[in-house]
Amino acid sequence: MNTCENRINDVLVCGLEGEININNSPQLRKVFDSVIKRGEKKVLIDFSNVSYIDSSGLATLIEMYQRLKNIGGQLRFSGLNQKIMNVFEITKLNKIFDVFSDRETGLKDF
Amino acid sequence: MVIIEKAPSRLETVPDFITAFLNKLQQVSLNENELFNIRLCLEEAIVNAIRHGNKMNPDLHVEVKAELQDSVIQIEVKDQGEGFDFELVPDPTEEENLQKLSGRGIFLIRRIMDEVTYFNGGSSVRMKKKLKRGE
Repeated sequence: MNTCENRINDVLVCGLEGEININNSPQLRKVFDSVIKRGEKKVLIDFSNVSYIDSSGLATLIEMYQRLKNIGGQLRFSGLNQKIMNVFEITKLNKIFDVFSDRETGLKDF
Repeated sequence: MVIIEKAPSRLETVPDFITAFLNKLQQVSLNENELFNIRLCLEEAIVNAIRHGNKMNPDLHVEVKAELQDSVIQIEVKDQGEGFDFELVPDPTEEENLQKLSGRGIFLIRRIMDEVTYFNGGSSVRMKKKLKRGE
């Protein structure tokens, strides 16, 4: 999995690429750690190039959501493919996460 | 067609094991959705077997068996542990559990597969899914 950060106004766009699985979820947690430590409050995670996620990846996203919420921050998601959206829907994470079809729509919501 | 493989009880080897296993399984021409879902369920079942069944003991292994019959794929994941009661795992979609960090693996398997049976005291799980081949 690769990550790529990009600032658009006051929003940090964190683009993920590849698979989020049991092996690289700890790596993703470290990326999110660094984002929190830098004091970022508005974060958009772009899933456009993510092909797979498992429950360890979901847990990492929930952890990030909670950490941002605790400091008054906001987390948005964009670009989920249908298979990953289905995983969000089965686990009802779409009820707590703000999910947008694409990066631009997600950015406008902040 | 029957495939039987043994996975070591090391979490870091799980994604590669599954990739190799699915490559063998591709003889049955899974579509993109089926491949994603079967991969997810396999991963969740094997990770549970290593964590909760084999208690991360690297000397133990997890046996994975896949069988295709009449467009139904049946996958069994068997660990060498004492098993545990899967009914005790709370529903992660209940309001109070939505933000919990664990407990989604078993739930995903149950929701994605058509039929899920735990046996041998919970140390084995059998998952069945009807494939959409030729429909």
